[in-house]
Amino acid sequence: MPPPATDVPDGVPLHRADSPRRDPVPLLAVAALLLVLRVVLGFHEVRPQAATSSGAPAGADLVQWRTLEAGLAEARATKRPILYDFTADWCPPCRSLQRQVFADARAAAELESRFVPVRVLDRQREEGRNARWVDSLQARYRVNSFPTLIVAGVDGRESTRIEGFLGRDATLGRLRGTGVSLRWGVTGQAPTDRR
Amino acid sequence: MNLTLVLATLRQRFTSPLRLFIVLLFGWMPMLPLLLAPRTGFAALGDCYFLALALAAGMIGQDLSSGTLQLLLARPVTRAQYVFSRWGAVAAGTFLITVLQTLVAALIMALRGVPVPWGEAALFLANGALLALGTASVMALLSSLAAGIGDLGLLFLVFISAQVLEKVGMFKSWDWLARGAGELSGALKPELDLAPLLHGGPVAWFAVVSYLSTVTLCLGLAVVVMNRRELSYASSGN
Repeated sequence: MPPPATDVPDGVPLHRADSPRRDPVPLLAVAALLLVLRVVLGFHEVRPQAATSSGAPAGADLVQWRTLEAGLAEARATKRPILYDFTADWCPPCRSLQRQVFADARAAAELESRFVPVRVLDRQREEGRNARWVDSLQARYRVNSFPTLIVAGVDGRESTRIEGFLGRDATLGRLRGTGVSLRWGVTGQAPTDRR
Repeated sequence: MNLTLVLATLRQRFTSPLRLFIVLLFGWMPMLPLLLAPRTGFAALGDCYFLALALAAGMIGQDLSSGTLQLLLARPVTRAQYVFSRWGAVAAGTFLITVLQTLVAALIMALRGVPVPWGEAALFLANGALLALGTASVMALLSSLAAGIGDLGLLFLVFISAQVLEKVGMFKSWDWLARGAGELSGALKPELDLAPLLHGGPVAWFAVVSYLSTVTLCLGLAVVVMNRRELSYASSGN
């Protein structure tokens, strides 16, 4: 019987090495160490500090959200864009966003310095309806899921849209305008449908 | 790593017509939006994940199912060398295409009169190299477990399972489940965004450790799985 067709490269010599099946013990040891470190850092990331540097309890929102009117006035005066946070109390990814981004002192300070933050809280599920300005903003920016972050100028023109929670670094990267192609599908938490 | 094996893998990957078609599709389709809006920059190209998958699919499994591996391992090549060579070749092939993409994109921008953001290009390439190495390591593990291009099926299965578990965790407010499933889902696409580092942001140690952990774990396990495979002609089911 003829031998099966093969594409074994010719440059590989024909005598067998001594231990062709030796397990890569150093690599596995490094992998195990990194895995332990990953779990430890993962827990640390979920529960960052018992108390933040500002004295607020862990997980507390450190961004000072403006009302819409105050936000618009401040944006006009300072020429900074508005960061709209479309959120709802019942939405789990919104809680992750708050815990990992808005409750982080450095991230909160950066957002405050770059944007005028305005929170748009949906109360449809709890109260059966929203304030008119909430519905109006949701319709204007075609918000269909939570969380949705929109960066817009005073003229209302949208420049950045982030749907779902991408993770702390990716969210900040996108808001800085430097993030490269991260989608929630593989790297973060999917947005929750609005209705 | 064995250079002959690396080159042979690259030759094998780049001479398959179907694979070439997919690579061209994922590699050059993103140029269209860039042609229309050159100011979008390199972000318009997306990332090289699907390119890496196209080159990686069946990187070990196809050798297993075709019987090539039995002959190849009759030579003085350790199984670890074989796995690392496959991994390196797939990552190098993906990076090579990413470099070509970047050069063509830069050319398009220059011809359309848009200043080429070289810093952004370097960042795009660096992130691409990390994603290529990461994706190739995940596919090396999956490919060592499944014959043919069953690694793609395994990838899809793990992805769907992780997504379902994540949704269950979110809606039941079981944070541990949502987090664990999210991590599993993220591990299928090991990437590291260097942008915050380059822009003076804080080092995201968790992201760095997660990436390195996924790559080393996948490669180590791939070698362990391969070391325990029986590949004699008398065995069946390989």
